[in-house]
Amino acid sequence: MSSLDQLKQTFFDECSEALQQIELGLTDIRDDAGSEDTINAVFRSVHSIKGGAGIFGFEDLVKFAHVFETVLDGMRSGTLAATPDIVDTLLAANDVLSDLVSMSRSGKAIPPDFGSESHAALEQILQANSNGEPADDDSPAPADFDGLDFVPVRVDNFESEDENTEREYKIVFRPKPDLLKNANEPLYILRELRKLGTLDLVVETDRLPPLAELEVDRPYLGWVGTLRTSSRREQIDEIFEFVIGDCELEITTLSAEPDFSTAAPASEIEVAPSPQPPAIALPPLAAAEAAPPLASAAPQAAPRLAATAAEPRPTASKPAAASATTTRVELEKIDRVVNMVGELVIAQAMLGQVVHSLPEDVSSRLLQVLEEVVHHTRELKDSVMSMRAQQVNAVFQRMPRLVRELATKTGKKVRLEMAGENTEVDRSIIERLADPLTHIIRNSIDHGIEAPADRIAAGKPEEGTIRLSAEHRGSRIVIEIRDDGAGINSERVLQKARERGLVSADATLNEDEINNLIFLPGFSTAEKISDISGRGVGMDVVRRNIQDVGGRISLKSERGRGMTIQLALPLTLAVMDGMVIRVASETYVMPMSAIVECLRPPASEIHNLIGTPGMLRLRGNLVPLVQLCELLDLSPPAVPSDERVVIITDAGEGSSFGIVVDELCGHQQVVVKSIEESYGSVPGIAGATILGNGRVAFILDVEKLSDLANSQNGSVGISRFANGDARAVGFVNGTHRVVPPQQAEAAF
Amino acid sequence: MPSAAVLKVLVVDDQNSVRQMTRMTLEQIGIRHIHEAENGRAAMDTASLQPLDLIISDFNMPEMDGLALLRAVRGHPAARKVPFILLTGRGDRELVVKAAQAGANNYLIKPFTADILKQKIEQVMGKLS
Repeated sequence: MSSLDQLKQTFFDECSEALQQIELGLTDIRDDAGSEDTINAVFRSVHSIKGGAGIFGFEDLVKFAHVFETVLDGMRSGTLAATPDIVDTLLAANDVLSDLVSMSRSGKAIPPDFGSESHAALEQILQANSNGEPADDDSPAPADFDGLDFVPVRVDNFESEDENTEREYKIVFRPKPDLLKNANEPLYILRELRKLGTLDLVVETDRLPPLAELEVDRPYLGWVGTLRTSSRREQIDEIFEFVIGDCELEITTLSAEPDFSTAAPASEIEVAPSPQPPAIALPPLAAAEAAPPLASAAPQAAPRLAATAAEPRPTASKPAAASATTTRVELEKIDRVVNMVGELVIAQAMLGQVVHSLPEDVSSRLLQVLEEVVHHTRELKDSVMSMRAQQVNAVFQRMPRLVRELATKTGKKVRLEMAGENTEVDRSIIERLADPLTHIIRNSIDHGIEAPADRIAAGKPEEGTIRLSAEHRGSRIVIEIRDDGAGINSERVLQKARERGLVSADATLNEDEINNLIFLPGFSTAEKISDISGRGVGMDVVRRNIQDVGGRISLKSERGRGMTIQLALPLTLAVMDGMVIRVASETYVMPMSAIVECLRPPASEIHNLIGTPGMLRLRGNLVPLVQLCELLDLSPPAVPSDERVVIITDAGEGSSFGIVVDELCGHQQVVVKSIEESYGSVPGIAGATILGNGRVAFILDVEKLSDLANSQNGSVGISRFANGDARAVGFVNGTHRVVPPQQAEAAF
Repeated sequence: MPSAAVLKVLVVDDQNSVRQMTRMTLEQIGIRHIHEAENGRAAMDTASLQPLDLIISDFNMPEMDGLALLRAVRGHPAARKVPFILLTGRGDRELVVKAAQAGANNYLIKPFTADILKQKIEQVMGKLS
């Protein structure tokens, strides 16, 4: 890639960020949540796209951005009101701009009249605003502005003397007790001093007593530092005129010549407060402001607070520009590090095995070192994974446009609220999130949200709301899509399911169970097939997509009130904490995140109800058990039943079940390797890993194991657990294949 | 006659792509010491840490825009004499007037060629060698 191409890539990356800024800003403005800064930021973003496009020669982009920018400029300067209509036009313009950017990026030819509608709408706004005067016609401005008075500078005249030479004074100012009693206030004095020039002070806190001994009307602080000013010495003395007897004061001339080295800290105060002020050497202004007025309760105790509260930046409302401390790294490079960390984890596990086989006197010392290595590897893994992590915003940001377009198409009014956009998750998950989310939101607008008239009739606000949110819960990220539409029509769902033979005619299902039927393959209740929600390859695909990345999907619907879909996804797919377990002669790994507790219950606590593989009485609740060896078709274990271990797992939505295994072999970090390429998707198996002894072990997919168990028990695909929670539906005939690990080893 | 090879130039723009492009163009006319800053605030940090011979700054930037930077530079004891060229879009005459009043030494309309850049720098600093 030539360096120019690389620069273009950088430009397009910047465009994506800018487009997102514009979208967010305009949405805020439409919702009346915008401020002056918002419109400025939006303007700046469009302007940046225009500027860069000009440099890289994307003329269509420049042309469009120019009109867009002109309208925004009108809003910014207050000549144009941000009416909802105008903001909608701008949002549509942003969509066009976004398309233009992607077309320019892919090198596609841009159709000649592309975006002309939006362009015309923008022009119209401008014309209406200028009362019929022709709007700015992007005719090229003169390349030169004549008659401007610019100062040529000769490099050789830098040394010329200036009569207003600045001087630097050392200032020592320590108020005595009487200063406050005589109604003088150090803060005001420091403020006056600051007006003279650049003041650089450090507060002395060493005389500050413990809080209990602090007297409210005594000054404890002192200030030492420098003042750089062109004012005369007399002007400084004047400021201290009234306190001269009530303080220790020292003003000495330091230098007459400004030089670069001493100027540095001064400028920091002026324009760049250091982001983390040191605990004692306070940023002078913060310290001065912190010196409280006479009446406040604990006047002199404030500086420490000031030390932690960094001086507010001028544009505090905007999130701190992250670009200053970020660097773009090719994903490939990070993936390479992730792979290396994976190999390291394996090598470390092997080392652990070797160490354990050594005589104890040698191994004990080695183990100490190894423990340290394990600790560091874990941290290394965490930091690499955090590098790969991306904000879900990467997906969320596409949704406002989708909602807008669908709302227009269906004639419904929908507003999208988003929360937790900054939640981070591994990018491999992000990539697989876009389709399911799009699908769910389409469904929601097409089938969930009612037409405006129906909503009003139902006593709801005319505008429907879809709320998209993300948050971390344990080692999972939970994404929730909630709408306030009509919810699922359960009678219709049940009727369809019966028609299609998905449930037997006499099965009695509760509302939740019925609602979950929509996850069955081929299920669609859309009365007319619209071009929005497609042809019924609906929720089952969504569910499969989510399950493929080890996630789960759940649904709650309230008739007439709306519905909520929750996606719970693992944070990362590459390395995880696992529990190594043994069943019969096989070793498996179970994700730690799925394990609630492990116990070895006495046989008397296990009840063999007819038709179940047993129930464990645990603290008064009955927990269904799953015999792993039976489920996986292994030869029965040699371990007596009361020595076997039950692993209580969380199957989501508050339901739990116990998996019976022979032995727990230990906790270990494992690298997840996919087996799908070689074996396709195997229900109950989430992947494979390499253990310390070099052998391959399968990683169990706990949620699917419970499905497997249910289907093997001959239930019709729906079963209820002891605590009454309905389990997800959809496992039709337990057609699972389990490949013995020995055979699978060839795959690695 | 200043030598291009020894000039220390600070390029200020919030867009990395534009900064890089400006850097490439500066390199084409023989300038080797190029510092970058992504807004006025960062530019002031750079300007107070080392002597500069020229600042080329965009106007539209978050945190601190080009005019604010110009004023800060002109008010800074160490940097106030550094020549300042403002980068601007086409047709922004008002801004250029403001910049001239605030002490800018020249302006440069984006996009620009190496020739124009050189011409503008020479107008400010004298012929480059």
